[in-house]
Amino acid sequence: MSAKANILKRLRAGQTPIKYDQLESERNVIAPMDDVDLLERFVQQAKALSAHVHQVTDETTAIDTILQIIGTDNTVLAWDFEHIPLAGLANSLKAKNITIADPRDGSVRVGITGAEAALAATGSLVISAKEGRPRSVSLLPHVHIAVIRAEQILPHFDTWIEQQSQNQSSFRS
Amino acid sequence: MKNESKNFVALAEIAIEDGNVPRAVGKGTRTAFARRISAMYGTGHEHGEKMRQQAAEAKRRSLRQLPDLLEQAEQTLTENGVTVLWAETAEEARQHVLKIAQEHGSQSIAKSKSMATEEIALNDALIANGLDVIETDLGEYILQLNEEHPSHIVTPVIHKSKDDIRAIFQEKLDMPYIEEAEPMVAFARGKLREKFLNADMGVTGANFIIAETGSLCLVMNEGNGRMVTTMPDVHVAVVGIEKVIANMQDYATLTQVLPRSGTGQNLTVYTNIINGTCDDGGPEHMYVIFLDNGRSEIYSNPKYTEALACIRCGACLNACPVYRSTGGHAYGWVYGGPIGAVITPLLEGIDTATPLPNASSLCGSCKQVCPVDIDIPRMLLDLRHDIVEMRESELKWDAAIKSWEYVNLSAPIFEWGGKAARLGLKLGADKLVPNPLGEWKKYRDFPDFAPKSFRQQWRDRQKGE
Repeated sequence: MSAKANILKRLRAGQTPIKYDQLESERNVIAPMDDVDLLERFVQQAKALSAHVHQVTDETTAIDTILQIIGTDNTVLAWDFEHIPLAGLANSLKAKNITIADPRDGSVRVGITGAEAALAATGSLVISAKEGRPRSVSLLPHVHIAVIRAEQILPHFDTWIEQQSQNQSSFRS
Repeated sequence: MKNESKNFVALAEIAIEDGNVPRAVGKGTRTAFARRISAMYGTGHEHGEKMRQQAAEAKRRSLRQLPDLLEQAEQTLTENGVTVLWAETAEEARQHVLKIAQEHGSQSIAKSKSMATEEIALNDALIANGLDVIETDLGEYILQLNEEHPSHIVTPVIHKSKDDIRAIFQEKLDMPYIEEAEPMVAFARGKLREKFLNADMGVTGANFIIAETGSLCLVMNEGNGRMVTTMPDVHVAVVGIEKVIANMQDYATLTQVLPRSGTGQNLTVYTNIINGTCDDGGPEHMYVIFLDNGRSEIYSNPKYTEALACIRCGACLNACPVYRSTGGHAYGWVYGGPIGAVITPLLEGIDTATPLPNASSLCGSCKQVCPVDIDIPRMLLDLRHDIVEMRESELKWDAAIKSWEYVNLSAPIFEWGGKAARLGLKLGADKLVPNPLGEWKKYRDFPDFAPKSFRQQWRDRQKGE
């Protein structure tokens, strides 16, 4: 018999119900964030993790901020621009002769992505990798710039998971 | 890894007398212990306890359905493009990895931290077959440079001070003298980056496998886990069968408690959910090896099934007064601390690790801090019973215990025994006391008897009234 068959056979033969008597509460024990300003909380938590948070209200300032961070570099890594919520970014980079390198180029200093969501409780970014959004862009470069919109901010990791279980889109390749 | 658990007492003595180990481990564990409290109970004690109950039930639910979940996981993983393999023994698991390396022509293997791969002694097998292996978790990298094994499930190099680590970097990496930790880390980071970019295969464990979605979940702070699961063409994960959980909700529940319990973080720096292969710049080939290696036996023994609920957070190590003093190497194998004292005898055989269930005062701290409420003290007691039942009778010990029982069950004999002992002590008999009491006295002062026994005082008081 195969290893799989042997293992499953032993497990099925030995199955005993393990009770857990202490359980009282319903699911979802995350502390509620109903009265919390999600944007404010996100910024506070992200800064506590040493992230540089730039809050801007118009696209031009956003692009200028990014160009400032890029400085004198002439290549960056980037997601496909349709996934970065900043319409003028592609053209501005082109105008400055900044090229997009191969996503696996480990010598590039800056990587630019969007995000699927942000989490206020922990100052986290939810980065989903798919075609056009390679994993390495937020991984290899020493500087990672993520462009997000305030409405993308969710309360908790739990909230995002709950959304995913409704439509497992992010989970299936 | 060779099992030296039988030598726990000697190894513990060496560690304690060393001084450096209890100092470093004591500091690291106390810090982690305090951080855990802030993270778990930051929003109130009740909330923290509810999180633990929720997580405890989630793991037990998975264990109840384990065979079905494993089959479901195999199916969903396969649908995601992952090749699923099964290994009954450590040797089978090693052979799987070697075969995969052969098939893909992998020469350099980059590993992120995985206790399961320590358990199956994977590195030695890879090296013996001419492959280059590099541990990329900074703590494990340091240990690999110094040819040592990890001493803690989560913080493998907890037994080393900054000075120890500097010495290793200077000797093995030709690092110039650097005083502060941060630039030292930056130096090591530079060395590791090269390896990431050039590795052919990445090897990891898994914190969870979600059966419903075929996802492999990892938590990490350093990002090396992201590197080894992104840059190489091949990703191989060695995963204990007990790591499979049912669904995303349970994953969210367990993700609440794992980082909080392990490192005092609400979330680790990176929380990865890998759903197989796809065109996202990650590996083209992904393998999950389900490892049994004794787990199905533990599962089948109702006394010990709950040991498989462990999510390897390390909180019990950080809370244990024994571990804090001895560090992990004293336990002699891969898993140390309270959970190690339970699963080492169960995975390797009780006869290989008889001191471990006794390496405990049964204070219960481990059960209190366990995010899935595993009753480690009960299992330690059960293991002690198992050991006694298994061993051949020792005449002297059994006779001594029988006498002790006899004395305690008879009030007059107990009283007269006490009077005799008091007299004997006055006459200096304690100097003649042979082993084992002699051993006992090596580290302790024999207490003085009270001038009057409790019984005598009671009688006097009654008379007085």
